[in-house]
Amino acid sequence: MGMARIDVAPTAVYELPLVRAAASAPGLPAVGPSLPASLLLKNALWFCRLRWIVVAILGTLGVLGLVPGACSRLGLLPVYDWPLVAAGVLALGNLGFSAATHLLKGSTARRARLNLWAQVAFDLAVLTGVVHFAGSLETNVAFAYLFHIVLACIFLSRGESLAVTLIACVLYTLCVAAEGAGLLAPQTIYAGAPVREGLGPAPWAFVWNLALALGIWLAVWYLTTHLTDTVRRRDRELAETNRRLEAALDERSKHMLRTTHELKAPFAAIHATTQVLLSGQCGPLPDEAAAFIGRISTRCRRLASEIQDMVQLANLRSESQGSLPRADLDVAEIVRWCIAQIQPLAEERRVVFANDIRDAWTTGVEDHVKMLFANVIGNAVTYSRAGGTVRVQSEPSGPSGAVVVVEDEGIGIPAAKLPHIFEEYYRTDEAVRHNTQSSGLGLAIVRHVAQAHGIRVRVESRLGVGTRFQIGLPPRGGPGVSSARNKETDDGLPVDC
Amino acid sequence: MAYLLIVDDDEDFAAAAAKALSHAGHEVGIRLETGSAVSSMERRRPDLLILDVMFPEDASAGFELARRIRHDCEHLKGLPILMLTAVNVKFPLGFGLDTIDDTWMPVDDFVEKPVDLDVLNSRVSALLSAKV
Repeated sequence: MGMARIDVAPTAVYELPLVRAAASAPGLPAVGPSLPASLLLKNALWFCRLRWIVVAILGTLGVLGLVPGACSRLGLLPVYDWPLVAAGVLALGNLGFSAATHLLKGSTARRARLNLWAQVAFDLAVLTGVVHFAGSLETNVAFAYLFHIVLACIFLSRGESLAVTLIACVLYTLCVAAEGAGLLAPQTIYAGAPVREGLGPAPWAFVWNLALALGIWLAVWYLTTHLTDTVRRRDRELAETNRRLEAALDERSKHMLRTTHELKAPFAAIHATTQVLLSGQCGPLPDEAAAFIGRISTRCRRLASEIQDMVQLANLRSESQGSLPRADLDVAEIVRWCIAQIQPLAEERRVVFANDIRDAWTTGVEDHVKMLFANVIGNAVTYSRAGGTVRVQSEPSGPSGAVVVVEDEGIGIPAAKLPHIFEEYYRTDEAVRHNTQSSGLGLAIVRHVAQAHGIRVRVESRLGVGTRFQIGLPPRGGPGVSSARNKETDDGLPVDC
Repeated sequence: MAYLLIVDDDEDFAAAAAKALSHAGHEVGIRLETGSAVSSMERRRPDLLILDVMFPEDASAGFELARRIRHDCEHLKGLPILMLTAVNVKFPLGFGLDTIDDTWMPVDDFVEKPVDLDVLNSRVSALLSAKV
């Protein structure tokens, strides 16, 4: 008897990891030879520029050798053949390396490293020739190998810089040994200075001289690589810290967005439901019930608004605003944008705007400056009487950047209460009587933004007559100015802090 | 009378909005997640889509759906979209009418929650009239 086959979905298993997954491995990043290709090529071009200096020195020496009596006056032998040949070889090589380096732009780091290595090998070979002709032990010219060793320590990995050091040691030792063995005749450029003949009468002095030079090079290699490693490690630590800070900022922004949504959405649902009830779409309500549902509706709107302000304020308080990207801002455009946002409220309250907005510029975090003006202009409308006028003016203000004036004909603020209006949750009795919907956080937000941007806010008010806010914005081009950036996170949501 | 589809994970809000819009004479459907919304619209094309932005599994699922409708679904391309969200235009992370564009936020209008149902009704009427 056949059995019915039942397809059963495989059991899925997931175990919560004990540690939070990180975007990169925790702990210190390894110090490695990971300079980017662009930086390596930049250094390769710098090598080429330095090499022209050596070409110039050798060329000058060769020309001096051709001028009768010029070298002898400087205490040098009149040599011109090898300096001019070396200068010519270096010049030709340099032209080739410059062209190759330019062609490598946009290439991989591996190709850039090969270019650097070719330059180092070429230089060491030419230098060994120069060291031989100038006097390998008779002069200090052999210490020119140290330039290559130090530069290799900075731009190449520890292993590669050691390889450069050992190549320099081997080339120098071969040169000196060949001279000691009589395969090459020892040379000097100093006029009247003694020249060795083979190992000479003191072979141990010869060996010690060579060993001392090699020992100094190896010591320089060790010290330089140690210092370079330390600097690279700090550099990577800083880069990693910066990456984590940026990730934390992004994470916090998303969290703020989600928190606002999660807190406001339930009130939106309650508000909508109460409206359905109040409209009678579910049947007539007794007057008293309708009044109570009206209270629920009003309270919901107020709570939603308060949550908005609280999250904004927490956002402003918790972040280091100095770290946010600041940009040059068109004050007129921002003021117009804020007025457009508040226009529906003005129409609802039968308040009209009288605007005189002229072009002016400042520097700051755009969304925060918008918050400041939205709150000030919103307050002017909210605390105006029906039929009132709110005047908004903006204009450039000499060295101080821009000045914006927002003036209403509203209820005004008693003189004794003016110093308190920027405190969190502070509301005058007059304001509460005029409007029960405010959170008392709007001007606290204004204070935070103003203090972070160096914006001067001056308030004049006469009870029952109106209030005038004068806002002085700093000039354009302050520190940390950046161009406008893409306001989008990985989620496609706009983010600017 | 038009057929409207509300796509919003908040069932309470969607039910209240549907009631008000039904009272105004429209036929209203509700989908609580964006996945089933597309198949629903393929079965019956609405005259207007009322779309929330943030959904539990994806904070920008509303945007994604709007982009998909505009750019990938041939027979839904001209569908008017009214977007709703609880994130305020004043909020530094927020967005407003000036943000609407065809690539990033391809919708026809934008309303912030909490919304007066009268306002919602008038926006819906305006979009339907514009369509005609």
